[in-house]
Amino acid sequence: MTASARWPIAAWFCFILVCVVVVSRTQISTDLSAFLPRSPTASQQILVEQLRNGVVSRLILIGIEGDAPPSLAQTSKRLAAQLRAQKTFSSVNNGEDISAQADREFMWRNRYLLSPAVAPGHFSVTSLRAALEEDLQMLGSPAAILLQKVLPSDPTGELLRLIDQFVGQAKPRVEDGVWFSPDGKRAVLVAQTQAAGYDIDAQEEALARIRHAFMQASGTATAQKLLVSGPGVFSVHSRASIKDDAWRFSLIATSLVATLLLTLYRSPRVLALGLLPVASGALAGVAAVSIVFGSVHGITLGFGATLIGEGVDYAIYLFTQIAPNVTPRNTLARIWPTLRLGVLTSICGFSAMLLASFPGLAQLGLFSIVGLIVAVAVTRYVLPALLPIDFTVRAANTLAPAVNAAAQRAAVLRYPLIGLVVLAAAFIVMRESALQNDSLASLSPVSMRDQALDADLRRAIGAPDVRHLVVVTAKDEQAALEASEKIGALLQRLSERKLLAGFESPAAAIPSVAMQRTRQTALPDEAVLREDLAQAQRGLPFRGGLFEPFIRDVAAAKMQSPLERNNLQGTGLALKVDSLLVERATGWAAMLPLRGVSDAPAIARELAELPHGEVVLLDLKRESDELYQTYRREIINYSLLGAFAIVVLLFMSLRAWRRVLGVLTPLLGAVIITWAIFTAAGSALSIFHLVGLLLVVAVGSNYALFFDRRTASVQERERTIVSLLFANLSTVIGFGLLAFSQAPVLHGIGATVAIGAILSLIFSAILISGSHPEQVAV
Amino acid sequence: MQGLAEVKTAKGKFIERKYLAILTEPLQFSGTLVYTAPGHLEKYTVSPKPESLVLDQDKVTIESKATNQRRVLALQEYPPMWAFVESFRSTLAGDLATLKRFYRVRLEGNETQWQLELKPTEPNMQAIVTEIRIGGSRNRISSIEVTESQGNRSVMTITGDVQ
Repeated sequence: MTASARWPIAAWFCFILVCVVVVSRTQISTDLSAFLPRSPTASQQILVEQLRNGVVSRLILIGIEGDAPPSLAQTSKRLAAQLRAQKTFSSVNNGEDISAQADREFMWRNRYLLSPAVAPGHFSVTSLRAALEEDLQMLGSPAAILLQKVLPSDPTGELLRLIDQFVGQAKPRVEDGVWFSPDGKRAVLVAQTQAAGYDIDAQEEALARIRHAFMQASGTATAQKLLVSGPGVFSVHSRASIKDDAWRFSLIATSLVATLLLTLYRSPRVLALGLLPVASGALAGVAAVSIVFGSVHGITLGFGATLIGEGVDYAIYLFTQIAPNVTPRNTLARIWPTLRLGVLTSICGFSAMLLASFPGLAQLGLFSIVGLIVAVAVTRYVLPALLPIDFTVRAANTLAPAVNAAAQRAAVLRYPLIGLVVLAAAFIVMRESALQNDSLASLSPVSMRDQALDADLRRAIGAPDVRHLVVVTAKDEQAALEASEKIGALLQRLSERKLLAGFESPAAAIPSVAMQRTRQTALPDEAVLREDLAQAQRGLPFRGGLFEPFIRDVAAAKMQSPLERNNLQGTGLALKVDSLLVERATGWAAMLPLRGVSDAPAIARELAELPHGEVVLLDLKRESDELYQTYRREIINYSLLGAFAIVVLLFMSLRAWRRVLGVLTPLLGAVIITWAIFTAAGSALSIFHLVGLLLVVAVGSNYALFFDRRTASVQERERTIVSLLFANLSTVIGFGLLAFSQAPVLHGIGATVAIGAILSLIFSAILISGSHPEQVAV
Repeated sequence: MQGLAEVKTAKGKFIERKYLAILTEPLQFSGTLVYTAPGHLEKYTVSPKPESLVLDQDKVTIESKATNQRRVLALQEYPPMWAFVESFRSTLAGDLATLKRFYRVRLEGNETQWQLELKPTEPNMQAIVTEIRIGGSRNRISSIEVTESQGNRSVMTITGDVQ
């Protein structure tokens, strides 16, 4: 080995060492919102915040089934007790009384500041009289047992009113003291995690804790089954499935490609060399992403598999095209210009992703670009020196003439193919608009079955449907609460008109100071109350002085300093307020989740008439659909930009419109037919399909360029075409396997590229090889 | 008990007097009771104000015509109330097992004149109710007397039972 050959190897070795050091320190992030954009509209921003860390994102719904109700109830109680003892969960509710005790205590102590009924006239003689008569009636019912205790302090029934207000009418079914599904077959619980929903590691830990606690709680009752659902659970599952799939398919792809190459090369050493560029490229790609973005997203790693598809090609082109008695270096010198142009074209394609406004895609772009550059550099500078001197691929020699002949004959199909592409394009134009548009949900791999379970558990628990949310923004906390109170009053009227079933408001737990002052003003002075009460009590059999505690409590409430947020500490209400009243970068936002909305447009119209301008009725489903469309448009724009860059690059290199057109036509044909196949299968192109099409152009351009390249001899052309066939096979193996993944991101890209790559090769053969049959003589 | 369990439906008039410490005079309610085996009980109060109370499985629905209010209570959320309700429902159903879940049970007298004495076993319930005595003849209940811990007492007499 000469000194000039040693230098590149030494440099490569050092480079790999540096990459290994960087990669070993890399943090793998798994925040799925990396695939959400950075610059949404105001309401989309609230949506993204909610998805990331809102109360909705923290809920874990739990079901226990497969046993008799008493045993299920027992497991539910034990499970809840265990989870309550852990800091991971800020609340666990299974319907047991204890979870509500702190809340009830808070409501009891502050009933006169909290009760919406407290208004002028509420303690007039007439009102008091009506309340007392009602009390007497209630004393005749079994409820008397409980009523007797609170009656002296609360004859007007404020506590019951408050409890009703918080619980609403949608109460879960109770069996043996805990919540059950309506059919009584499943005990249900709802846990809220301390950590935000986007923190998938924390969510995963929470899930593991739930499973562990369930194992202990169910004990010997092995027939009992645990069901979990919720946004955090979905994220954990989808990450796991992406990670599993990426791993599994990368491994299978690698071994299949390795088997293919071993059969062709018949040398383990050459096989190892063939994988060297890809491995180096993947390592460098991860290192680059780690340096630029600070961490590497799990999904980016999943694309290691896709890099195998193209990165391995470079070595294949080199190895397969080495003719007998020609040195690798000379072969490389011959194919280098084409190879270089191919890589540059791919880079143009991937650059589009660098510009994407969601970091996830930008990472994918950087990973691919750096990976490809390193892979091709290793092929160019490192491999020739390491290959055995007399290396040649025998299979290529035997197969070559037949393959080339087939390629030559393929030219016959030229016009039929062009016709087919035109038809496919027309088909797409006709059908595309009729297709169901994809939603944001397609970005997250939640299966229909999981979604159904989620809906079931949610209904059983009476959790707010996550769809409608009134959001009001204000300059400070008090203003946000005051606005919530006005909106709440309106919503109350609307729910009486049956436009919605109910709603929650932060102001129910912590009214604005202004509202508390208003209520205090409405509380009568001690002397007045005493006199009015005496008058109201006339003729009723209540013992004299019975209501002294009531008079005392009202007097105290009148003097009490207004409640603040920290008064809620230790109650479940604190949690509610924390999630519904949040400080944002530009002020405060209060959120009022709605239940059972039957006429959203009417509610939106009524809200619009409120004097507070900053009120929005968010339809989370519609917003997220729009968000998705924004991404999609962005990807399409950048892809077109990438395509334009490719055209410019090709023109600069080939310097003839005819050749540029010749190279691009098969690629365009492959893209259109692949698109048409998905359209015919009934799916609109998702973001992942679009990225896949970009990859088709990147990979396919190599085929087209090699077909386009003038060759010095028939043998050389034969070898070129065989090398393309091998490269194509390895690409199809790599991507085709991904098509079997459950994760939409991997499935979408895998299926698209596998189909597109085969088509690119075939179309290149049909359209290019036939176009200059005389070139051999050139 | 056996005899009670065989009763499928029963209907009667009731007069209930409640002597409560917080009141200066007893409350008196009257109306009709309708029982359907095994555990469905309806209590229609006519005087002093019309009100209906329906007990079905684990739900008590109280409806007041005067105030036009309807309230549904899940018994299991209010354990003392549940125990209280079971004292007469389970007796009506002849369900000794459920009775024993909440009370120590003692039967006195003979078939034509029997008295069931129930003492709560749970501390929560003990704090509220001291004793429940249910009197009857053959398969009919004629009185329910509840003695509460704070000196409250209620007596319900049931007459005109129509089988």
